[in-house]
Parts: sequence; C-alpha cells; structure tokens
Amino acid sequence: MQLNRYLRNIDWWLVFAVAALIGIGLMLIASATHSYATATGKAWHVERQSMFVGINVLLMIFCLRFDYRLLQQIAKPLYIFNLVLLLAVMFVGHSQLGAQRWIQIGPVTIQPSEFAKAIIIVCLAAFLAKRAEIYSDFTDYLPAIGYVFVPFVLVMRQPDLGTALVFAVIALGMLIMSGFKMRWLAMLSGAFVVLMPVFWMILKEYQKNRIRVFLDPELDPFGAGYHVIQSKIAIGSGLLAGKGWFAGTQSQLNFLPENHTDFVFAVAGEEFGFLGVCVILLLYGIIIWRGLTIALNAEDDFGTLLAVGITFMFTFHMFVNIGMTAGIMPVTGIPLPFLSYGVSSLTTNMFLVGLLLNIRLRKQQLQF
Amino acid sequence: MLNKRYANRLEAMLIAAVCILLVLLGRMAYLQLFKGDFYGEQADGNRLRRTKVTAPRGIFYDRDGVELVNNLPGYVVALRRQNNPYDEEILRALSEIIGMPVAEMRKKLEENSDSYEPTRLKSNITPEMLTKLEEKKRELPGVMIEIQPVRNYLFKELGVHAIGYVGEVSQYDITQGSYKNMPVGSVVGKFGLEKTYDRYVRGIDGSYDEEVDVAGNVVKQLGQIDPVPGKSLQLTIDKDLQQVMEKAVDEHLAYLRSSGIAPGARAAAIVALDPKTGAVRAMVSRPAFDPNLFVHGISEKDWNIINNDPNYPMTNKVIGGEYPPGSPFKIITGAAALELGKVTPDELIFDSGRHWLIDMRNAGGEALGWLNFHEALRKSDNVYFYEMGNRLGIDNIVTFAKKFGIGSPTGIELEGELSGLLPTPENKKKAFPGETWMLGDTFNAAIGQGINLATPLQLAMVMSCVAADGVYHPPYLVENLLNNDGSIYQKVEHKPARDIGVSINTLRLIQKALEGVAEEGGTAAYFANLPRQIAAKTGTAENPHGQDHGLFVAYGPVEDPEIVIACIVEQGSFGTLAAGPIVYKVFEEWFRQEGFNSSAPAVK
Repeated sequence: MQLNRYLRNIDWWLVFAVAALIGIGLMLIASATHSYATATGKAWHVERQSMFVGINVLLMIFCLRFDYRLLQQIAKPLYIFNLVLLLAVMFVGHSQLGAQRWIQIGPVTIQPSEFAKAIIIVCLAAFLAKRAEIYSDFTDYLPAIGYVFVPFVLVMRQPDLGTALVFAVIALGMLIMSGFKMRWLAMLSGAFVVLMPVFWMILKEYQKNRIRVFLDPELDPFGAGYHVIQSKIAIGSGLLAGKGWFAGTQSQLNFLPENHTDFVFAVAGEEFGFLGVCVILLLYGIIIWRGLTIALNAEDDFGTLLAVGITFMFTFHMFVNIGMTAGIMPVTGIPLPFLSYGVSSLTTNMFLVGLLLNIRLRKQQLQF
Repeated sequence: MLNKRYANRLEAMLIAAVCILLVLLGRMAYLQLFKGDFYGEQADGNRLRRTKVTAPRGIFYDRDGVELVNNLPGYVVALRRQNNPYDEEILRALSEIIGMPVAEMRKKLEENSDSYEPTRLKSNITPEMLTKLEEKKRELPGVMIEIQPVRNYLFKELGVHAIGYVGEVSQYDITQGSYKNMPVGSVVGKFGLEKTYDRYVRGIDGSYDEEVDVAGNVVKQLGQIDPVPGKSLQLTIDKDLQQVMEKAVDEHLAYLRSSGIAPGARAAAIVALDPKTGAVRAMVSRPAFDPNLFVHGISEKDWNIINNDPNYPMTNKVIGGEYPPGSPFKIITGAAALELGKVTPDELIFDSGRHWLIDMRNAGGEALGWLNFHEALRKSDNVYFYEMGNRLGIDNIVTFAKKFGIGSPTGIELEGELSGLLPTPENKKKAFPGETWMLGDTFNAAIGQGINLATPLQLAMVMSCVAADGVYHPPYLVENLLNNDGSIYQKVEHKPARDIGVSINTLRLIQKALEGVAEEGGTAAYFANLPRQIAAKTGTAENPHGQDHGLFVAYGPVEDPEIVIACIVEQGSFGTLAAGPIVYKVFEEWFRQEGFNSSAPAVK
C-alpha cells in the first residue's frame, strides 16, 4: 500500500521527461563517442553514464522514503562541508583550460562545483525559509545575499565563471520567490551594468577572450571561436530531419570537440535535426512546468524555495548551454542537464529531480 | 506561505521560461531551416581535406646541359589548427621527433595564426622522422605530412649570385611585394634567376583530396590533381669556366691578403661574356654564400654571419657594385676624341709629368714624353687623356659614355642592377650640393675617376663593344626555357643588339692599343704567355675608404673575340696585380677547352 501510494503520487510527467532526456542523452553520447569506442573497442562513456543512471535511480527511490525536510535540519553542516569542498578544489584540484575544477577520489574524478550547486539550493532554501515570513526591508535580505556570496567568490576564484553565475541565478530565483521587491532587482541590475567594467577587469584573459569571441567567433576561427563555429555548422547542417543517428559528419569525424559533454546538443542538432531539437526543448519545457507547479503546490516555504531554485538552475543550464552551442551565448563550461556526459552533473541533477518528486510526494501525502 | 502569496511570480516565471524556450527554438529554426544549406556546405568543406603537392621547380642546366640546380624529394611537416592553445603534449611529442624546439614551433604557429591553412613547421624531414611520424600518427592528431620537393644547389655557392636561391615567401611579398596572393609557406625564388624566372620555374602545384576526420585520419581517397613541373632553364653559364673562375678568385684573394700586397682584399666581382651575343659565361661575386642554407629557412646564426659581413655577400657586385671605372674609361674618352676629330691618331702630345693647365699628374708620377694615340692608350697615360678631356668637354664625354652603355642598367635578367653614375654637372651637384663643375672634374672624368661610376658588367660591355666592332649585344643569362623532357619550350627573347655608332677605324685603333697592353712592354705583358693573343686594359679605381680597387678588362682571342672578361678586386691595389692574374686563369681555361694549352703559368 505504501508502494501503491508512492506510485500514484509520483509526478509522472516529470519522470517521463527526465527519463526521455536521459535516454536521448545516452544515444547522443553513444554517437559522440563512437569513434573513440571503435578505436578502443569499448563504449566506455555510455557504459559509465548508464551505470550511474542505474545507481542514481536506486538512490532516488531509496531517498524518497525520507522527508525532504530533514535536509533543512542539516543545512548548516552542509554549508560548511560545501565551503571545505570548494576550498579543497583550489588546493588539490586538477586544472583544465586554466581552471581548477576536478578532484580525484580513488578511481573517480569528481567535479565539486556540480555538487555545490545542489548544496547551495538546499542551504539557501533552508536559510530563507526560516525567516521568510518576516522579510520586508532590503536589509533583511543582506544576510541571505552574504550567505551565497561566500561560495560564489570561492567558485569565481577557481576560476569557474559559469558555476558562479549558476549560484547567482539560483539565489535570484529564490530571492524573488521569497518576496524580494522587483524595484530592488531593477536597482541591482542597474548597479551591475554600472560595475560592468570592473567585472571585466576581474575576468581572466581566457574568459575575456571567450566573450570577445562570442561577440565575433570569426575573430579566432581555429582558436577560441573554433568550438562555436563547428557547433553552429553541426546544428545548421542537420536541417529539418537530421543526418541520422551516427551519421553526423561533424560529430563522427571529430570536427566538434567536447561533443559528448558541453557540446552534446550540437550532436542532437546535427543527427536529429530541427524535429529532434523541438522534442528536446519540449521535454525541458515539461520539466520547467512541473518544477514550478511543484513549487506552487509545495507544503511549506522550504519546499517552494527548493523547487524554484532547482527549476531556475535547470532552466539556466539549459538556456546557457543550448545558447552556447547555437552561438547566442558565450562559451562557459556549463553542461546540459541529463544530456551531457559527466557523472557529477548527472548525479546532482538526478538528486535534484528526486527532491522535486519528494516535495510533491509529501504534499499529496498530507491530502490523504 | 510564499507560494500562495507570490503565486503570480511563479506564473511569471513560467511565462519567462516559455519565452526562453521560444528564443532557443527560433534560433534553431534560423540555423537549421533558414541557414541550413549554408551550414551544410560548410560541413562538407570540413570533411574534405585538400593536401597540397608542391610542383617541382624547373632544373637549371649550364650551357652544355650539366645540372646546376635540381630538386630532392622532400616532405614537410605541417600542423592543422584545432585548439587554442595548441595541445602542449602534441607539440612536445612532435618536437622530439623532428628536433625543433617547442618555442620555435609556437612562433611559426603564431605567425600563421590568422590562416585556415595548416602551418608548415619543418621542411627537411628525414626518412627516420617520417617513419616515426607515421608510427605515432594516432598520438599526433592534426599533424600532416605534405610533399614538397626540396631545392638542391648541386655546387653550393657556384654561381650563386646569378642563380639565386629559393625560400619561403615572406609576409611582405604576399601583401605588397613580388608574390601577391601566394599562400603562406610557398617556396618561391628570392634572389637571382630563381626570382626573375620564378613564374616559369615554379610550375603549378597539385593536390589530392581526401575525406578525413579531425585527427587527419584518411577515411576515403577522393580526386587528385597532378602537379605540373616548372620549366627548366638552360643558362648561358659554362660550369667549368665558372668553377675555374671561382677558384681563381678565391686563391688570388687569399694570395693578395697573405702576401701583404692587399691585406684588405676580400671582395671581388668578375664576369665573362660572349661579345658576339651577350651570353654571360661566368659571373662571380665575392664574398658569396651557400644558397642551400636558405632552402629550409636560414638559421639565425648563419643569417647573422652573412648579414653582418662588411663585404655584403648578398650583393651581386657584378651588377650591384658601382666603382670608378678607372683607366678602362680611357677607351670611351679616346673613342670620343677620335670620332669627333679632336685628335688625329698621329698627333703627338707631350707628357711632361703634369698637364699644363692644371697640376694633375700620372698615377706613378712618371713623365712619358711625346705620345700618339696608340702609345697613350697602351701605356694608359693620364696627361694625354686629360688633354682629350680638355678638348672634348664633359658633354661629349658623357654622350660617348652613354653610347657604351654607362649610366643605365644593361637589363640583364637579375634584380638589383645599378646604373652607374655619369660624370655630369647635375650628378656632381647631387653628390656635393652647391659645388659647380670644374675643368679638374672633366680631367678626372676623362680618366675614369671622380664623379664617374660603373658596374663591372658595364665595364665588360664597354670592352664587348670594342671586341664586337661597335655592336652592343645586351648581356643575358638564360638561353632557353625547357620542358620537362629537355625539349625547348621557348627560346628566351632578349633585347636586340644595337650599333653604338663608333666608326670601325676608331675601333681598330683602340683594339690595336689594347692588344699592345697584353704584349711585351704593355702593362699586362704576362698575358703574352697565353696560347692565343688577347687585348686588355688595366685600371686602378681610387678608393677614398682604403686601398685602391684593382681593375682588369680584356677580350680574346684578338683575331675573332669569343670572350670578354671584366674583373675588379676591391682594395686589391693595381689592376695588373690584383685582377689580372684571375683573368689570366679564366682565359687559360677558356683556351684549354678549345684545345690550346698555355706555355707558361700565370705570373702572380
């Protein structure tokens, strides 16, 4: 009966959309790593991603037994753990493209910044939920802003501009949900625009280049602009129906670097065409719609804030990543949720989906 | 409850999310539906790789068909652009194989950073390197091996100033110089005939197309265009004569320095040509350099050695050196005086050791007494020719200098030819602003000093005009353009010969006097030891910067001149000492080839 009630109260739309995206993701990874797999005789990436999908599904089912509100109680130690993790990356992390993002733990390389996103959502939701009802003045929000600012700075220092922006967007969503006045938002945006030159000076040279090249990829067609140019060629040449699975010349002949991770969407565009792209965008639409609906129906403020934070994160990731492959966003190392290869990101995202399901489940439970 | 209080905000968020999705969808529609064909073409271009096959340059043959310059099979390693920065590991692995420092590679990659073409890194790839590159292909994505024949100068510095050399086209040449729109990394003629005849010699590059993946692994062979080899050149140069000439120059320069006669004698220019056609048989400029150094891009060390040499090895002094013509100019002054009736052959003029109008003397301070034209020219008497200058006036001297080709380039097929400097009042004003032309200047001009400069080739042409009874055959270096199989593709058209307008009687008088120079009692009497008689004129060009330049011009055999030789040795002292012995050896070789052997060795 317990199981029965679970099954009835599961958000099947959400499960369907996520499952479909993960399935499509595995197909894309298989295609993107095809030449590697042929060369080594082992479809390593697909196997590894599938294995983690399985493990994560089991973990999700297991976690659904516990009320998400338990997290509210361990928010403080989680927050501290997060800071330690981010500091650790700075000192023992591997660097790639001038940024330190990876930690080797036994056989697994993890990307702490992926987990940090989830932890930030949980902690900030807990932090805001505690006092949400009494907020009125701008100054009431300052502690919350400071609370996010510390990990934000640590990630910036890595330097991982993409993740830092994700933190900011998550915080933005939750602040809006907790009653942050639109007027203040407008003022903050104004201040941001005024301070733009200062931010420009803080950026590392390669980050500046990415933005310059984003504005004009032809500036460096075989350098920083290479990814974007090749990605646009891949997507554009997919036309309406795509070149077919495993038949994308850009992807199969390795013209598109990182095509199983950050640029996986370009493989989708090339091999599945405009129609495939529509399906994927629709699936993301479903996830966003369900996320916000769960927020609307959540039993408590913590649940509402969690759901909003998660939805903002998914939406931002999707927009920035797809926008990047389509040449309307600068190149940042932000993976596409459920589609990109990467077990840290996959685990984080599936955990967050589990949280959404959990919020929805508890609400329905009370109705009975 | 926040979600109840701010439900409208959640609604707004949903609308915003839908807008974001629509933006992405719109962008996708633009890329895939609206611009799809454009990107489709780009994708095709991506997987087709065209590898250039450089056409072999034409072979250079000497007049008898001996190969002077050919090509060796060669490969060049190039790197295609992929990531920025370039993968350090690939560069390091490549550096180990081809033995080129990573920093040097980076410099080349940087230079080529705005091009789609692969960057050519190193051209002289050995078979061992080739094998290693082939073995490690998988670890070296983007590394390409292109076929590029390597220019091979068989006799190293032999005739380098005429033949020239090739090298990679420079950025300057592509943008505004001689090779507009040539791709970066192309090998082109940079100097000498390699440059002048580049468009014939270069040929047409071929290519082959393949479908490849990004690592350069060939997936499928597509079409190919075979390269068209360049036209070969049949030169007028006589390899054996050239070799003898170079050896003679080097030995004699060494002798002049070691004997103490001319410790500063390091630079020289000699040219031998056929007075009846203008065909140049040998051309030497010293110091020289090995053109093979330039083929693979010259090293900084070698370049510094050449570039810092105070004697300019890169200048072809035969056409690019301007010297006071000295006594050989008396041929022109003499011709002018006889032609214009300013003197008769038999008029005797008294040389008291100085001219009576201005105190200007003979070089050695001697006084030769009563002289007719023949004796004056044979003994190279200054006072006699000062008087000729006095009677002619500078304008007449200039007019005749022009007839003999002084003051304008000969038009030989080489870059960097200078005009010389005519002894005109205008030229004096340019050189010494504010100073006017004096009678002393005319005197100086009459004996080939002062404001009066000529290139060694121009001096050879003065002699050539005398030898050919007054016909100027413009000098040239290339006889024929040849096809790959050795058949004649095209006979090279040269500038037509012209009559200089000096009567045969005058020329006969000059010829007789010059013959006397190389006889017993002349200033170059040791030439009488040659198996056949020659005519000559020695000279000494005043050099304000050091010891005088030694000059020697000659032609022979006198009964039917076949060859004219002009030689100058910078800071070599008197012509008969500095330049004569070199010319002697060249004649010796020339006559040896015809079956005549010298009765005695050259006098040093």
